[in-house]
Amino acid sequence: MEVTDTKKGNFLVINLSGRLDTSNYGELEKKLIGFIDAGEKEIAVDCSGLIYISSSGLRVLLMALKKITSAGGKFHLCCLQDNIREIFEIAGFTSIFRVFDTLDEAIK
Amino acid sequence: MERRITIVNQLAQLDELAAAIEAISEEWDIPMSLGMNLNLVLEELVTNIIFYGYVDTNEHKIIIDLSRDNSIFRMQIEDDAKEFNPLLMAEPNIENSIEDRKIGGLGIFFVRKIMDTMTYERVDNKNILTMTKTIE
Repeated sequence: MEVTDTKKGNFLVINLSGRLDTSNYGELEKKLIGFIDAGEKEIAVDCSGLIYISSSGLRVLLMALKKITSAGGKFHLCCLQDNIREIFEIAGFTSIFRVFDTLDEAIK
Repeated sequence: MERRITIVNQLAQLDELAAAIEAISEEWDIPMSLGMNLNLVLEELVTNIIFYGYVDTNEHKIIIDLSRDNSIFRMQIEDDAKEFNPLLMAEPNIENSIEDRKIGGLGIFFVRKIMDTMTYERVDNKNILTMTKTIE
C-alpha cells in the first residue's frame, strides 16, 4: 500500500493505492489519526488506486469517519473500483460514508 | 483441480496467501473479482485464527485446501486453535448510524455474504471449516 497526501483548497487529499489489509492497516491508522489530531477538518480519500480492502482496512476508515465527524469535520471518499464498491455495499458503508465518483466532487 | 497451502500462525503469511490465491485463480480460470473475494474470505478467517485462536505463543499450522470441480469452488480451513464456530457469530447491524456502527464483526459477515455454503466441524481438537462457492 502507498499513502500520499496533498492539500487541495480546504481539503487534505489522501491517495491510497495497492492493498489495504491486516498487514498494513496500522500504517494508515497512524497517519489518519495524526492528521485529525493536527486539526485537519476536511479529508478526502482518493481510492482510485486501491485494489483490495479487508475488514481491517474498513475499520480504519470507519474510525477516521467517526473521529472527524465528532470534531465537526468532513471525511469524503472517491473513486472506488468496482470490487471495492462491492465490499463497501456488503458492509453497509455506502450509506454512512459520503462516496463520490470523482475527486473534484469530493473536494467541492 | 486441487491445491493445499500450509501456513503458520503469523500475519506475515497473509501476503504469501494472497499471492497463492492470485496464481490459483489465474490457473483455474476464476474471474478476477471472485478471486479478490476469495482472498478476502481467507484473509478474514486466517486473521481471526491468528489473532484470537491460540492460548500459547507456539508455532501452529493452518492448512488450507482448495479445489475446483466444474463450477464449484471449495475451500477448507483446518486449524488446531481453540474451538470457534463462525456460524454461531451474530451478524453485525449494518443499518446503524455512524455513531452506532460497531467496529467489529465485519470479517465473518463478509465470509457469509461471499460464500454460498459453510459447514463447521470440531474434530480431534481441530476446527474444520468448509465452504463452497459456485463460479458463474
